[in-house]
Amino acid sequence: MLNTLKLLLPALLPSWRFFDFIAPSPRIQFALLRSEDEVPNDWMLFRPRPTYLSFTQMLGRMVWNPVWNESLFMVSCAERIIEQPTQHSEDEILKRIRFELAADMLGDMKYIQFRLVTVQRVEKELVEETVFQSRLEPIVR
Amino acid sequence: MTFDDALRLTEVLMGFAFILQSIEHLRSFNNERILFSLRIILSVLLIFDFYSSWVIALLFLLALVILHRFQGPYNGGADRMGLLVLVCLCLAYFAPTLYWQEIAFGYLALQLVLSYLISGWVKIVNPDWRSGRALRDVFQFSTYSVSDSLRDFADSPRLLFVMSWSVMLFELLFPLSLFFTESLVVALVIATCFHFTNACIFGLNRFFWIWIAAYPSILWLQQRVFTSA
Repeated sequence: MLNTLKLLLPALLPSWRFFDFIAPSPRIQFALLRSEDEVPNDWMLFRPRPTYLSFTQMLGRMVWNPVWNESLFMVSCAERIIEQPTQHSEDEILKRIRFELAADMLGDMKYIQFRLVTVQRVEKELVEETVFQSRLEPIVR
Repeated sequence: MTFDDALRLTEVLMGFAFILQSIEHLRSFNNERILFSLRIILSVLLIFDFYSSWVIALLFLLALVILHRFQGPYNGGADRMGLLVLVCLCLAYFAPTLYWQEIAFGYLALQLVLSYLISGWVKIVNPDWRSGRALRDVFQFSTYSVSDSLRDFADSPRLLFVMSWSVMLFELLFPLSLFFTESLVVALVIATCFHFTNACIFGLNRFFWIWIAAYPSILWLQQRVFTSA
């Protein structure tokens, strides 16, 4: 209960520091593995953004935008992990990746794993860095 | 706008915003579906003014459960604003006298003004924002651009410079609009366009609806302070 009230406090006394500085931006990449010993090499970006969205599609997303809003929640979880890893955030990301994957994509894969890669500008260059790798999660069918 | 009208309009707009947010969770996991189905039912009751004070109290309790479920807001600033609107309405209903009811609702209006003022201030003190570099970074590599084609804006530094200063100046000057009802209405129209653009470009649709829900409080407070004076 005390923890929930702590979570409520920033809503009652908001900081309103939107985009005060542009922090390193996390990307969620995942890999599917056949065994616990397999080293993941084939990392795939989770939910790559579309190349183009029409104005009509943007208007539609004003009232129905579940996938994007869930992705923003996963980014929040990624930021929480980078700041202070928690089981909750790792679980949330793992289960949402698993939920999204179609059966034909899973094939004979047994485990799922994700990693967080941050992108930030250093001087004029964009630099990527892997900052977290999750546990292996058995795929339950 | 009277206190009662502003309160009622805020309830309806917040209820609508909560319904839009909640239906998105009906495609999700079981526990989320249950929580957000309840929220939809309560929001509909609120819109139809069915025992509003108790419905708001229940919505607040449910909000605590949801906060616990996600270990924080599901969608950052937008959900925090939703909580703030909800808590202020709750206090406005259960405060013992009209004076304290107005204080509670006025607090929402104050926070709305601060949401623009502080956002503008933290940007203008940052050299990257003043040069347009920060907004360029947002387009170039942040997670917010809804499509790859929007990343091309990063190649238009002059446009981003103008956009950065437009946003900062609008946010910083927003409190001055409070002196006259007409200027406040114009400022709120501009603010609505600003949130609409953010919703289209960065997918922040929840901000759009919940910020609008707080507008009646500022319209009421402006008239309460400046017209009654």
